[in-house]
Amino acid sequence: MTQEAQSALTPEVRAMIGVAGDVVEAWGVVDAEYLRRFTQAVMDPDPRYWDQEYAEGTHYGELITPPIMVSYLASRIRPDQDDPVTRAFEENPESDGIGSIERPGELPPVPTDLVRVLNAGNELEIYQYPSIGDKVFFQNKYSDIRERVGRDGRAFLIITRETTYKNQDGDLLCITRASTIRR
Amino acid sequence: MSLPLEDLLKLEPEAVLTHNERPKADDLRNKKQIYYEDVEEGMELPKYIYNPTPTHLFRWSAAIENFHRIHYDLDFGLNHDKNPSILVHGSWKQSVVPQFLKDWTLPKGWPWKAQFEHRAMLVPGDILIMWGRVTSKYEKGQMGFVELEIGMKTQDGIESMPGTATVVLPLRNGPDIPYPFVPPAD
Repeated sequence: MTQEAQSALTPEVRAMIGVAGDVVEAWGVVDAEYLRRFTQAVMDPDPRYWDQEYAEGTHYGELITPPIMVSYLASRIRPDQDDPVTRAFEENPESDGIGSIERPGELPPVPTDLVRVLNAGNELEIYQYPSIGDKVFFQNKYSDIRERVGRDGRAFLIITRETTYKNQDGDLLCITRASTIRR
Repeated sequence: MSLPLEDLLKLEPEAVLTHNERPKADDLRNKKQIYYEDVEEGMELPKYIYNPTPTHLFRWSAAIENFHRIHYDLDFGLNHDKNPSILVHGSWKQSVVPQFLKDWTLPKGWPWKAQFEHRAMLVPGDILIMWGRVTSKYEKGQMGFVELEIGMKTQDGIESMPGTATVVLPLRNGPDIPYPFVPPAD
């Protein structure tokens, strides 16, 4: 017997579509040392990241940085806020180290009792490489929430969070969208 | 010579590693432009082959300040989350994508858009093949747009990151792609 799906896309959930957070200035600036660590970790040896003389003669005219490096810069815990990483592990030594950490610019939670979270996918739109010295400003938004019905007949949600990254001059750097399944 | 993806997946894992086409710094420094006219449907991009170790994973966690224990704490991964090992980060795979597209479009093209899903759990010891294949192309606003199918397969042919991408290449006798990139109006 098939269980009839009860809609998870309630009016309260639907009302979250388009809800945006504050524009947040990420801590610090895009700097050469963070660039070094990031590009070595992703294993990209491009001299456009570190050879200034060469980079100045390229299409970009300066050192560039990987486009979505700014998304990790944006998730840094500010030193002038309460340290949620230390707190998470003090309160629960079994913490997974991520679930209970509040990041800057977080959106209000979607009001659903579907608690299991799965990564559904990512989108990237790239417009300009961040420059060394850039300050990064970002804003999160629920850009889409859709309902699907699983094989078990139960409704689940696909929630897409869009983040727009700009520099101190308001230039659009990139847009990322992360979709999660809530079951 | 670059092996087609289909043939690469028929090789033994150790042999797959010998076909890595990830460029070194000087390859990128001296990269010749691929023009829109050079591209044909079905063309494959150079394949980037990785064999991540726990150290690579830890370095990535540290670089992006990702404290999720499933990526570095084997005991936690096995016994708490019941994973087969520590897991390769989706965020690392996500960061390989723009690199892969950038490298192909250098020196004057643009890696505009990509979308992909995360499907399989990847662990240290897996051999991972970042691949891409041209599915279509079109001209617009004196720029060449190329649509790609992309993914990251394991040595067993399991697709862990199916997706698509759009990159922009200059026309052979056309203007430079604008930087910062501005897509043409519809």
